Amino acid sequence: MNYSKILITVSRILLPFLLLFSIYIIANGDTSVGGGFQGGVIMATSYLLYYFIIGAHPFSINKMLKIDKYLFVALPVVILVGFLTTGKFFTNMFPIDFPYSIRRTYLLLLNLLIGGKVAIGFVSLFIVFIEEGNS
Amino acid sequence: MKKIRSIAIAIIIIYMLSQIMWHINGDSLEYNTSSHAYYVENGLEETSSKNLVTAIYLDYRLFDSFFEASILLVAVTGIAFMAIKDEDLL
Repeated sequence: MNYSKILITVSRILLPFLLLFSIYIIANGDTSVGGGFQGGVIMATSYLLYYFIIGAHPFSINKMLKIDKYLFVALPVVILVGFLTTGKFFTNMFPIDFPYSIRRTYLLLLNLLIGGKVAIGFVSLFIVFIEEGNS
Repeated sequence: MKKIRSIAIAIIIIYMLSQIMWHINGDSLEYNTSSHAYYVENGLEETSSKNLVTAIYLDYRLFDSFFEASILLVAVTGIAFMAIKDEDLL
């Protein structure tokens, strides 16, 4: 693929900042605006920029979908741990009288899982479109 | 006969929509604001999230956001299967 030099140069400048920004949004999902879905979509967009730079997609679709399924299985495992510790379904795994910094890790973990799942889902979507366009 | 029936149905639908639009406008203060007040008051203590949106989608409505993630998985797998006819994907 021969993309224009302007697109490639701008993508090279933008790619690390976009990746850092997506991780920032996911990690600060519970203290400021943002969250898992938004950060994951930004991360998938940075993969699209990576495709513009090198002109090929390095990940195979089978592997991405497999990781996506494993992350989806990990989500209810994290959610249902709260039933063993607090006795309630679908809530924080740490009891309510724990300090704020410890209870926050649950939100951080779920945001990371959802962000990774959304990012991998959108990346596999992009891979499907790229392979359709090339064939 | 058919024409009269369709006109009657159209009039009924327009009447219902106008009733809905008449009752839902920004001036009326008849909304139920109890859940809003509850979230604003107790959101930080109960979920330890400073962002109220995160407090709702990761604690109060976690059931909803879990199945939202499952919908994304099914949609992506379905699109990939439709585009690439490979049985190993599923």
